[in-house]
Amino acid sequence: MSKSCVANVSLSEFSLWQKMKSNKGLFSFDLEITARCNNNCRHCYINLPSNDEKAKEKELSLDEIKEIVDQAVSLGALWCLITGGEPLLRKDFFDIYSYLKQKGILISVFTNATLINQEHIDFFKKYPPRDIEVTVYGLTQDTYESISRTPGSFNAFMRGLNLLLKNGIKVRFKTMALCSNVNELEEIAKFCRQRTKDYFRFDPFLHLRFDNNKFRNEEIKSERLSPQEIVDIEQKDPQRFGVLEKNCNKLINPHFSQFKCNHLFHCGTGNGSFTVSYDGWFRLCSSLWHPDCIFDIKKGSLSEAWQNFVPKVRDMRSNRIEFLKKCRTCPIINLCIWCPAHAYLENGEMDKPVDYFCEVAHAREEMLVKRTTGKHREPKFPALT
Amino acid sequence: MDIKVSLDNVYVPSEDVVAREIQGNFIIVPITSGIGDLEDEIFTLSETGKAIWDRLDRKRTLKDIVKDLTLDFGGSPQEIEKDVVGFTEELLKRKMLVEVKGV
Repeated sequence: MSKSCVANVSLSEFSLWQKMKSNKGLFSFDLEITARCNNNCRHCYINLPSNDEKAKEKELSLDEIKEIVDQAVSLGALWCLITGGEPLLRKDFFDIYSYLKQKGILISVFTNATLINQEHIDFFKKYPPRDIEVTVYGLTQDTYESISRTPGSFNAFMRGLNLLLKNGIKVRFKTMALCSNVNELEEIAKFCRQRTKDYFRFDPFLHLRFDNNKFRNEEIKSERLSPQEIVDIEQKDPQRFGVLEKNCNKLINPHFSQFKCNHLFHCGTGNGSFTVSYDGWFRLCSSLWHPDCIFDIKKGSLSEAWQNFVPKVRDMRSNRIEFLKKCRTCPIINLCIWCPAHAYLENGEMDKPVDYFCEVAHAREEMLVKRTTGKHREPKFPALT
Repeated sequence: MDIKVSLDNVYVPSEDVVAREIQGNFIIVPITSGIGDLEDEIFTLSETGKAIWDRLDRKRTLKDIVKDLTLDFGGSPQEIEKDVVGFTEELLKRKMLVEVKGV
């Protein structure tokens, strides 16, 4: 009988998650507690120097973060991602983390692992995170530090990672697939998969910086793989390709071309989650920085943002012909990194197509069609550019 | 480890868990390690479980709780006692409850 009174479920099986999604309730939120980082990665969309005093001054205080957490909990949030920048740079990291724990929030942490020390280990062992996601830029000092541009960072990363693994802290991995590390990608994947029961993911889709720094944006562009290179690495990785193949019908959907509505957003942004930047800007998702889509959480309440601002943003529309004829009705939009947020970062407008994204999506489509039908044929939806 | 539950004892939620009600679901989230058996878990309570949990107030013994529930919900006291004891055993095993000494 007691079994009917209490049940343990893993989060992925938790029916409340689905219920919250369908009710448009709040489920999770991302806290970017700093934009500062001790690495200086070539492809990074946010990082500022670790000693950037201006950035430090603008960071939300512990009390401000607690206030956001309180409000998020009262709205029903169950899960928080602590991210940055490098979140471990904040001296009050443990306080922020502990506060979330005390409120009954499950926690994920994104880190480069270079700052992990015994104190972190003891803390995480006592107060386990749901997971710690470590980014692996390379497996050699040359590769890693050509990306991080920080001498000594490779050794620090390996030391931190080994501490986490040796002490049984739950780690999952990701890497950004870049021109600087693409030759090592297979090795990185092997390394990561051997070291986690959880997932490893690689991401070749680089979006531009939140601060619109033109020089840094050029660096990001120079790290982008060509459409063919992206297709090649996806085909070479059986797990990645398996997922694409399995979801082929969702990723290539001719019905999308019948869409008549002019809503700007057709992704899940603002459905069940939000992000707060280090300096207090509420967004529906991390990349959505258009001035009409951000809300100053220091001046208004989270409830106001969640209940009034989010629906208003989600209802935004566009009558730009280019948008309506291309992205809004594109049958392969789910293969594309294009979204209003990334379009804005790319060219200052949310409803403008981005040629590079389009080329990548069509290359992926061509590969999928060819591989899933077993023979080469012209893509069904040729590039509209 | 054998868990012995006495109807004359008082039990309370451990300080190492947080109980939350989200959209009509009552869940228990562990704060520290060693709660529950597996990683990546949250725990849900049924209506019955929640009714018992709400009465773990540092004052009532399990016997008091059985009486309360019998009055509030009706039904057989023996059945309710079985539920209360089973629930308490289960949560003590998971370290979600602790016994209050000296009450």
